[in-house]
Amino acid sequence: MVENRTKRDAQSGPTAIEIRNVSKRFGAVAALDEVSFAVQPGEMFFLIGPSGCGKTTLLRILAGLETPDSGTVFFNGRDVASLPAHERGAPMVFQNYALWPHLNVRDNVAFGLVERHVSKSEVSTRVEDVLKRVGLEGMGTRLPGQLSGGQQQRVVLARALVLNPSVILLDEPLSNLDAKLRVEMRQEIEKLRRDTGITFVYVTHDQTDALALADRMAVMVAGKVSAIGTPLDLYARPPNLFCADFLGEANFIEGLANEGTVQTKLGTWRVGEYSLSGSVVCLVRPENIQGVEGDGSGMNVFEADVTGVRINGATVTVSLAVAGQALKATLLTQRSLGIRSGDRRMWGIAPENVVLLHP
Amino acid sequence: MKARFGTSVIVALIVATLGVFLVWPMAHVFSRSFWDPQGFTLVYVAGLFTHAVHLESAFTSFIIATSVTACCVLVSLPMAWLFARRSFPGKAVWSGLLLLPMILPPFVSAVGMKIIFSRAGALSTLLMNLGLVDGPVDWLGHFPLFGIVLLETLHLFPILFLNLVASLANIDPSLEEAAMNLGASPARVFRRVTLPLAMPGLFAGMTLVFIWSFTELGTPLVFGLRRVLPVAIYDSVAEIGTNPSGYAMVTFVLVISAIGFWISKRLLSRQRSVATLGRLSQARREIPLSFRGSLLVYLLVGGVLFAAILPQLSVVLLSVSHRWFLTVLPQGFTVEFFGRALNSELTRTALVNSLSFSLCATVLDLLLGFGIAWLCVRKRIWGSDWLDALAMLPLAVPGLVIAFGYMGCFSGTFPNTLLDPRMNPMILLSVSYAIRRLPYMVRAAHAGLEQVSSTYEEAAANLGATPFRVVWRVTLPLISANLLAGAILCFSFSMLEVSDSLILAQSENFYPITKAIYVLLESLENGLNVASALGVWAMALLGAGILLAAALMGKRLGQMFRAG
Repeated sequence: MVENRTKRDAQSGPTAIEIRNVSKRFGAVAALDEVSFAVQPGEMFFLIGPSGCGKTTLLRILAGLETPDSGTVFFNGRDVASLPAHERGAPMVFQNYALWPHLNVRDNVAFGLVERHVSKSEVSTRVEDVLKRVGLEGMGTRLPGQLSGGQQQRVVLARALVLNPSVILLDEPLSNLDAKLRVEMRQEIEKLRRDTGITFVYVTHDQTDALALADRMAVMVAGKVSAIGTPLDLYARPPNLFCADFLGEANFIEGLANEGTVQTKLGTWRVGEYSLSGSVVCLVRPENIQGVEGDGSGMNVFEADVTGVRINGATVTVSLAVAGQALKATLLTQRSLGIRSGDRRMWGIAPENVVLLHP
Repeated sequence: MKARFGTSVIVALIVATLGVFLVWPMAHVFSRSFWDPQGFTLVYVAGLFTHAVHLESAFTSFIIATSVTACCVLVSLPMAWLFARRSFPGKAVWSGLLLLPMILPPFVSAVGMKIIFSRAGALSTLLMNLGLVDGPVDWLGHFPLFGIVLLETLHLFPILFLNLVASLANIDPSLEEAAMNLGASPARVFRRVTLPLAMPGLFAGMTLVFIWSFTELGTPLVFGLRRVLPVAIYDSVAEIGTNPSGYAMVTFVLVISAIGFWISKRLLSRQRSVATLGRLSQARREIPLSFRGSLLVYLLVGGVLFAAILPQLSVVLLSVSHRWFLTVLPQGFTVEFFGRALNSELTRTALVNSLSFSLCATVLDLLLGFGIAWLCVRKRIWGSDWLDALAMLPLAVPGLVIAFGYMGCFSGTFPNTLLDPRMNPMILLSVSYAIRRLPYMVRAAHAGLEQVSSTYEEAAANLGATPFRVVWRVTLPLISANLLAGAILCFSFSMLEVSDSLILAQSENFYPITKAIYVLLESLENGLNVASALGVWAMALLGAGILLAAALMGKRLGQMFRAG
């Protein structure tokens, strides 16, 4: 998978979507501030960030439902910034579905084809095909109100797919579904992406969706892109503090970096990469802290009090306190047997698992 | 147990009142048109369709109502779309002003219209002065329906406008965006998504307008058009005991109204069941109009308003002039008629009568309206949907039907008592006013109760207040603004109620304002001027009332005139 992505990134030819210096203000609020990035053909690209970060505004600008104050948008190398919404050809899956309540499933799905003056017979075959594909065979005459949430979601997807678009925009598509349906739909979207080669731009605030599905993702905060990369890169080697904090769980330890070592309250640690020096923040993911016996063989070790143990199921989260600093460690449940609140133990972190960040 | 007993008493009182004063008269009308002393017969109903005069009356009324409805759609649809989708400076003020034409009774404006369009009226004179026509033209004589349709359109379009704005505003913006996103141009979005989704509101408004104009009595009466159904019904009141064809006509009107109302209810409930599909995705951002766009909207709305107010304006002019005959503008200004409108025996009695009838009606409405809303919203009693539907029924039942029904059942059943309108119509007039405006009061109280969380009441009960004390100390104070607004509306409309007043008030000492105006119009010697002055007094009262209600209810005032 990782190799595939590298190959695609290296591809030449026009990008599927390019956003250049896009800014948008709503009154006094800068919803987007000089945002630029490119999405490759066939990519599953995520826009992720806390609510109010501008990700939905950006998606609506792609769909032509919002006009940027400045900047341009290219689809396949063509400037589409001046095209109205109905000429963009980038169907969107709306967060609240936006299924027309006065039209049945078939007419909802056929809507875009009718606007494109596709012949009646072709409309009906294409609609039947796509309904079959999303598992809604025989539901064509139902009204949206008679469908479950998951079925409505499939209709919205079908409504976009039936147009054979090169791009589909998804706005928090899974946020109205329960946990089980989410997993199911996530797999179906993944399958769609593999089967169709459609470029997806997917907006969510849910990192689970993003980490599970994304080829690449842009982490946004306050109208700006904070980081772009593959989920693995951004999780393991986040370029900044916000990104490290937003994705997954994190321990932050302040320190002073110098020539491959960093001085912290927990001792002087060796680190894998040392591009920074001076005042830094060390990121340590909880799963990278482990209990050690003896000298810890090459690890950065420290002694800490166990202040709490919480079982998650397959893993256990152990709360630690050392030198006034609270830390979290995630251990496999099997390995945590015998750890009790109040214990004082030795813990270790491998040097390559200490990531130095600007404070 | 005690509380439940109290509730049962209230339910019984309300149901009994509605039963006697709303259901019984309609049932009476219905039965009298199918049963005579010899038993069941279809003769009278068949007579409607065979008798040439009846047929002509029904046909003319149908033409009027259809044209008025169509014209109202033409006037309201573009304005409603602008008000629901675009923003421009002064929008709130304009939408308040658009209510104005509805509250000014077409009965009074018909007088003004007559002055403008009559043979010796302002328009004829203006055209003669300009040399465009040779002699006076009798516009109303040549095009009798034109004046009625124009007047009723200008009077009724706000009902449709309010219903449309509400349904357009309730459409989730993402439904339109999704259509755009899938390739529909703005015009196509309107055609394929916006209009179908607004259809229930549009149809509901159209139904109200249709029923209203189909049964409007005052306007054709003032224009002297006798061969329309409402006037034919009015004329048949005189022989109500002997000739059942009046009953058959009223039944016909009732059936037409019921069908329209039933269809629009069905459409509305369908809309409601799908509206819960997703939550409103986002607040709609109205697109601001450019300076030129705003100017065009001002011209459009201002023009419609001016046209709507012009007849009233001429009534005002007429009330302050000695002479308005073969001149464009009236001559000889005077305030004499305002004084005479307050000083003559007829008019002073009428003002006092209208004030007292309206006051009684308002008190009755407050009791009934609050009681019904409280039972439906708070107690959720068994059958509360039916009770609510019953209270809303007067929206669909024309005043003509109720008044005719009262005349029929009470004068026959209780002859020579206080319930015989021929003897003394005070009680029946007050009650008919109250029944006619009950939906507004129920709706106002309903809105108030739904905004006030029931936890306030629960807290009061928890601290030891009896159910009655809870209502008195907590509920009523919290919704007083709504009740007051509803009361003001009931009062104002009662002051200018036309069909009930014309039919039920039979002797001069019981005439309300509207009947006095009608009688004055027929009289010689400045009757027209005095009638106008009386109309101006009434309009001033009405305007002040509506302004007060608007100040109390704010934006929610519009909700009171919606169909669903």
